[in-house]
Amino acid sequence: MKRPVAVVGVGQTHHKARRADVSIPGLVREAVDRALADAGLRHEDIDAVVVGKAPDMLEGVMQPEQFLAGALGAHLKPLLRVHTAGSVGASTAITAMTHVASGLYDRVLAVAFEKQSEGNAMWALSPNLPFTPPLVAGAGGFFAPYCRAYIARTGCPPHIGPVTAASARDNAGRNEYAHLREPMTVDDVMNSPVLWDPIRYLETCPSSDGAIALVVANEDAARKGPRKPAWIKGAASYAEGMWVPGRDQVSPRAGKVCARHVYDQAGITNPWKEIHTAEIYVPFAWFEAMWLENLGFCDEAEGWKLVDRGEVKFGAHLPINPSGGVLCTNPIGASGMIRLGEAALQVMGRAGAHQVEGAKTALGHAYGGGAQYFAMWVVGSER
Amino acid sequence: MDEPPKEPVKYIDAEVRLPYHYVAGDYRARYLRALKDKKILGSKCAATGKVFVMPVIASPESFATCDTWVELAGRGTITTFCVVNIPVIGRDLEIPYVAASVALDGADVSMFALIQECPPADVRMGMRVEAVWKPDGERRGDHEDILYFRPTGEPDAPFESFSHRL
Amino acid sequence: MSLRNVAVVGFAQLPVVARDEHRMSTEMLYPVVREALERVGVTRDAIDYQVSASADYLDGRPFGFVAALDVMGSWPPRQDLHLEMDGSFAAYYAWLKIQTGEVDTAIVCAHGKTSEGEPERVLNLQLDPYYQAPLGLTPTATAALQASAYQARTGATDADFAAVAARNRAAGARNPDNQVRESASADALQRTPWVIEPLRRGYLSPVGESASCLVLAAEGKAEQLCQRPAWIHGVDHRTELQSIGARDLSRSAGAARAAEKAFEMAGIGSARDVDLVELLATNPAEELIVCEALGVNARATAPVVNPSGGALCAHPVMSTGLIRLGEVFRQLSGQAGERTVPGARRAVAHASQGHCLQQNVVWVLGTERRWA
Repeated sequence: MKRPVAVVGVGQTHHKARRADVSIPGLVREAVDRALADAGLRHEDIDAVVVGKAPDMLEGVMQPEQFLAGALGAHLKPLLRVHTAGSVGASTAITAMTHVASGLYDRVLAVAFEKQSEGNAMWALSPNLPFTPPLVAGAGGFFAPYCRAYIARTGCPPHIGPVTAASARDNAGRNEYAHLREPMTVDDVMNSPVLWDPIRYLETCPSSDGAIALVVANEDAARKGPRKPAWIKGAASYAEGMWVPGRDQVSPRAGKVCARHVYDQAGITNPWKEIHTAEIYVPFAWFEAMWLENLGFCDEAEGWKLVDRGEVKFGAHLPINPSGGVLCTNPIGASGMIRLGEAALQVMGRAGAHQVEGAKTALGHAYGGGAQYFAMWVVGSER
Repeated sequence: MDEPPKEPVKYIDAEVRLPYHYVAGDYRARYLRALKDKKILGSKCAATGKVFVMPVIASPESFATCDTWVELAGRGTITTFCVVNIPVIGRDLEIPYVAASVALDGADVSMFALIQECPPADVRMGMRVEAVWKPDGERRGDHEDILYFRPTGEPDAPFESFSHRL
Repeated sequence: MSLRNVAVVGFAQLPVVARDEHRMSTEMLYPVVREALERVGVTRDAIDYQVSASADYLDGRPFGFVAALDVMGSWPPRQDLHLEMDGSFAAYYAWLKIQTGEVDTAIVCAHGKTSEGEPERVLNLQLDPYYQAPLGLTPTATAALQASAYQARTGATDADFAAVAARNRAAGARNPDNQVRESASADALQRTPWVIEPLRRGYLSPVGESASCLVLAAEGKAEQLCQRPAWIHGVDHRTELQSIGARDLSRSAGAARAAEKAFEMAGIGSARDVDLVELLATNPAEELIVCEALGVNARATAPVVNPSGGALCAHPVMSTGLIRLGEVFRQLSGQAGERTVPGARRAVAHASQGHCLQQNVVWVLGTERRWA
C-alpha cells in the first residue's frame, strides 16, 4: 500500500437484543466516544466521517447519517454513507481507509451501527421484491439451500454446524461486548428447532442493537498516538452479479478474488500459516466451514474438517471469531466493522480475555447480498 | 395536553406507511402475462445464447442484451432446497414446506420455487419437478399463477448434471 | 499539494421523464452504462472500479441497489462500492479512490425511480424520528422555511424568485434531456399557486426519474478515452447539522466551506474565475443561497448559472447531482449543443442533498490539467 494506514482506535457498544437505554444517537455516541478515547483524540482531530449501515427500513429513518451528523461530530466535515448490505460495516471501514490512503485525510472516523429492535427486522430482511413471489422469511431461508449444497458436495457431517455454533458461544463468553454469551453444548444446538433445514435455531445469528467505530490514520498520526496501532496491510471490496449462470453461491468467486487481492497486498502466500486469527462473517454456522475454503485456508471440501478437528477454536492453530462472531452478535450494519475492528484489536494486543496469544497478523472479513459483496482486510502489528 | 408527563418519555411509536406504485418493466410484465397462458418465458443472451428466467434485459455475465424470448417447458430439476419451519409474511403456507432452487430445462439460471405434493422429507437434490398451475379461468397473469412445483416421478437427474449450477 | 490529474471522460443519461412505465430502476441503468462505455470506446473490463448511488427508501425496497450489479457488468467480480447518496458524492469517492493510485478508471452510476413512491412523504423520513419527522415536515415545507429565512435576511422578493426560476426554464428549453422543456416567463411563474409560501408551484422541481453513468480516468488513461477530457481541478464536500433550528437556514455554511476548499485545491479565488456553474437547487431560494456560498452574483451574466436548466427542469433524485457534473463535462468537451457556453474553459459543478441543503459537494473542472 502506497501510503500506510493504521487503525488507531476502536470503540464498540455492549450489543444487546434491545438497547432501550439509548436513542439512536446515544447508541452511536457510545461507540464513537469509546473509539476517540481509545485513540486519544477529540472530534476536532477528525477530518472526515464515514457511516455504514444496512437498509434504512430497519429503523424507519431514511439516510439517518443526516440527522446523526451532530452526534457524529461531523459538522462542516465531509460525511459519506455506505450501504453494501451485510458487508457494509467492513466496506465502510475500507472506505475510511481509502480516505487516508489518498493522502488527503489524516484521521478519519468510521462508524457502523444498527438499532434494528426499533423496526421489524424480519420484514426488512425478507427478500420480498415487487413482482416476485415471497417464499421465505428471513435471510436464513435464502442461504439454507446453499448450506445444504455445501453439505452434499463435501460430505460434511451433521455435527459441524453445531460445533461451530457451540464454539462461537464459548468465544463470546470471553467478550464482554457480545450479545449472546451463555455457553451451549453441541447437543443443545442439535436439539434446537430446525428453522430452515438444515439451519437450526441455535445455528442462527441473533438480531442485535449495536454500534462500532474505528479511527484510521496515516503513519504520522499513528505513530503519535498513545497506542500501538494495527497496520492495514491489504484491503479490498468486491461484488459480483446475482444471476450469473453457474455462479457458485457456496464459494463465490468474488470472495476468492477479494481474498487473493488482499493477500497479495499483504504479501501472504499461505493464509493458514501466516494468519494467526480471523474474524469472518458467519451468520449461520455452516458458513464457517464454507468460508474457510473460500478464503483459502484449506482446499475445497476440507473446511469442515478444520472445524471437526478443533483447529479453529480458541487456543487452537487459527482461532476463528474469537469475539464470538456474528453468531453471537449481529447488529447488521455494524457486524462487518466489528469483524475488522476485532481483527485490529487482536494485533494491537488489546482483545482482553479473548486475545489470541501472539497474534501479529489477522484477517477481518464480511459478506453481503446473495453472497455477492465481499469486503475484507488484513492487519498486522508491524508496519 | 395540560401537564407534562410524570415519567420521562422513553418510547415513540411511529407507524410508517408509504404507498409505492412499482413499475414491473416490460420484461417482467411480459413474463407475468405469459403465465396466464401457462407459458414460462425466458430471455436469451445475444452473445452467449444462455437463457434467463425470470427474463432479464441484459446478461449479468456477458453484459450483452437479452432480447430474444424463449418458451420453457415448465419442468426442471431441484438443485438444492431447504425445509422451512417459519411462516413467511404475506402468505398462508402450511408449515413445514419446501423452498427449492429449480433449474428449469432450457434455462441457465435457477428459480426459487415452492414444492408441494411431496412430503418434505422425500424432497431430494436432483428430483425432477414440474409446474402446477392455477386452473383455467383463475389465472390472472401474476406470479401466483404457478401454484408450486411437484415431483414428476421421473428418475432423479444425476448429480453431475446439475452440480455446477445451484 | 500535488494530486493525480483525473478527468471526467464520459457521461450518459436517460432523458428525464415523469415516469418510465417500461423499465424498472436498474433496467434504466443498463443502457446508460453501455452508452458511457461506448462513448469512451472501451469494454467493461477496462474499468477498474465501480461506484453506484441509490437509496432504498426511494426504491421502496431494502437492498434495492443489489440488482444494479447485474446491469453494471459485474462479472467477473469487480471492485465495487455503493453509497446511499446522490451520484455526485459517489463520484467524489471514485475520484478519491483514484487518488490512492490503486485504480486509474472508474464508472459512477446513479439510479432511482422517484415516481414509484411519494417523495414528499418518503423524504419526511430523512428527518430525525424524535422531533422533526413527527411534525410531518415534507421537503417542500423545510425548503419553504429556508426560503422564508432567506427572504427575511436579504429582502429577496417573490419577483426575485420568479426571475431565477424563469432563467432556469429559459435555459432548460435548450436541453433535450430535461423533463420540462418549455420556457416560462417570470410573470407566468409568479401566477402559479402557492404550494407552501413563499414557494410557488412554478418554483419547484418536477417529480421525475432517470439513470446516469459518469466515467472518470486518471492522467495517462484519460487522454486515450476522450479527446477533450474535463479535468478535475478541485473538489470538496461538507455536511451541516440537520436540525432546522440549529443553523442559519438563510445561508449554506456547508456549501461555502466546500467551495472554499475546492477553490483552494483548484487554485482559484472564487467562482467568478469560472465560466459556468451547474448547481443543484430544487427551488430559487436554494439557488440564491448556493450562489452566495459560491461567491457568484446570481444577477450577473458571468459565470453562467445552470445553462442546463438545472434541477428546476429535471430532478431525477440520485442522478440530479451526477448530471450537474455530466453537464459540466458536456460543456467543457464541446458536447453541450444548443446550450453551449461559448469559450468555456473552467466550470463549477455542485450538488446537494438532505433537507435545506444539508450536504454539499463542490467541484471545479477545466479544459487543462491542474497539476504539472
